[in-house]
Amino acid sequence: MNHDFAEKMVVIFSWMMTFLLCLLVTIFLGYLLTKGLPSLGAELIFGQADPLKAILGRARVFDGIFPAIVGTLCLVVLSTALALPVGVGSGIYLAEYARPGMKKLLGMLFDILAGIPSIVIGLFGFSLAVFLHNRFSDRFAPCLLISALSLAVLVLPYIVRSTQTSLEELPARLRKTALALGATKLQNIAYVLIPNALSGISSGIILAIGRCAEDTAVILLTGVVATAGIPSSLLSPYEALPFYIYYISNQYMNPAELSKGYGACLILLGICAALFMLAYGMKKQLSYRMLYRA
Amino acid sequence: MKTKDKIIVKGVDFFYGRNQVLKNIHANFAEHAITAITGPSGQGKSTLLGLFNCMWNEVPGARCMGEIRIQLGNSWVSPLKKDVPLPLLRRKVAMIFQEPNPLPMSIARNMAFPLKLAGVRGTSIIAEKVRKALEQAFLWEEVKDRMEKSALDLSGGQKQRLCIARALVLEPEVLLCDEPTSSLDQRAAGIIEDLLISLKANCTLLVVSHYMDQMRRIADQVLALQDEGLERI
Repeated sequence: MNHDFAEKMVVIFSWMMTFLLCLLVTIFLGYLLTKGLPSLGAELIFGQADPLKAILGRARVFDGIFPAIVGTLCLVVLSTALALPVGVGSGIYLAEYARPGMKKLLGMLFDILAGIPSIVIGLFGFSLAVFLHNRFSDRFAPCLLISALSLAVLVLPYIVRSTQTSLEELPARLRKTALALGATKLQNIAYVLIPNALSGISSGIILAIGRCAEDTAVILLTGVVATAGIPSSLLSPYEALPFYIYYISNQYMNPAELSKGYGACLILLGICAALFMLAYGMKKQLSYRMLYRA
Repeated sequence: MKTKDKIIVKGVDFFYGRNQVLKNIHANFAEHAITAITGPSGQGKSTLLGLFNCMWNEVPGARCMGEIRIQLGNSWVSPLKKDVPLPLLRRKVAMIFQEPNPLPMSIARNMAFPLKLAGVRGTSIIAEKVRKALEQAFLWEEVKDRMEKSALDLSGGQKQRLCIARALVLEPEVLLCDEPTSSLDQRAAGIIEDLLISLKANCTLLVVSHYMDQMRRIADQVLALQDEGLERI
């Protein structure tokens, strides 16, 4: 009787908590939509410029968030591209090659790295820019490249850990299959283990992409500015959506400007969703190709 | 006709960490014969089988001492002395597991996989070898029209025959079978038994089995693994 009651309470409690969570998400999205939708439109993105010309780079956008969108996209692509080979490589090393002692030590280091607040990594990136400026050339200043490097360091632990755990979680049966057929260790990793761990690895990459798109503290110190236009090179300052949201909600002059901030939030969410879907689609394609095609 | 030995085991001890699993094993395994290995659970039958293709090398903390010699082609190799690269050894000493383990890919790719690993090229050569191995494993007629379908959709017995065919595609000289029928129903197990008997012509087979009647049906020699070592019964 008592046991029954406890079990029922647990069910009710977990149901309520799930409901609460869904409610929160709905309220949050609903609020953003009501606040942001009115300002959403070509004008928010392109200002007074002609959208087509702006996309082709023929016209500069002054009071729209188009440069911030481009900046954020550049940032995500660059930092993911920098973090991916290092992260996946380290993950493979940790899961497949490292001896137990080394594994523990490196695992701890990556956990520490994961725990470093992003503002500290931003500060580190800023110091790097200052160092490069003083030591090598005046051309170095906080810029897109420095931001991308710092963000890559920030998201590295996600990729390392997800690669490592998804490789380690593969069943022993699968691990032995190719070896018993005469595969070398490398062949086993490349043809069997990685393709089968791809879903776990890509969830780490998705997390990383999300973090690159939303993190503000790192870019605040390493090169983002309020107005820069479309970044012309890796060494130029740039605009980014999270920073735009930050400063417009800090310094808005009238309700219309604040509403633009909400619109930018919606666009940032949309970009994240689109990137997630892209990563998901790529994962599907990759594993399909690796496993089913000759 | 006097039988020739294919594998000779002398005084083998095996440890997982400090735990001794096999103690002073001596045995000879005849060529072109089926040797069944039996014994109570936990006596290390699978471990013994794994000595011949060095699967234990993948387990951290495992140690093996003694002498194992296997005749491959015209020469004798000693896997414990590492005088043959592991991939080469495992291509000639193939293994079938208790649970059928097709990879999550098409039947054709599963079959071509060991050839790909071994660096065999040429679509027609591969197709020919795959077909021959599938025929040897009594599976060709059942799958020839669905080679591009996933191997995971086959029945349990078909999966196990696919795994046997996949092992045969490299033309191994020794086939190690770790309870190959224990996850199958009686009918599927019967087909596998007939298949194993038919493979004697090309291979030397070592079969771990729990079933007394199965061993009587298929084995030329039965060895029992006990506390004191391996004994002929």
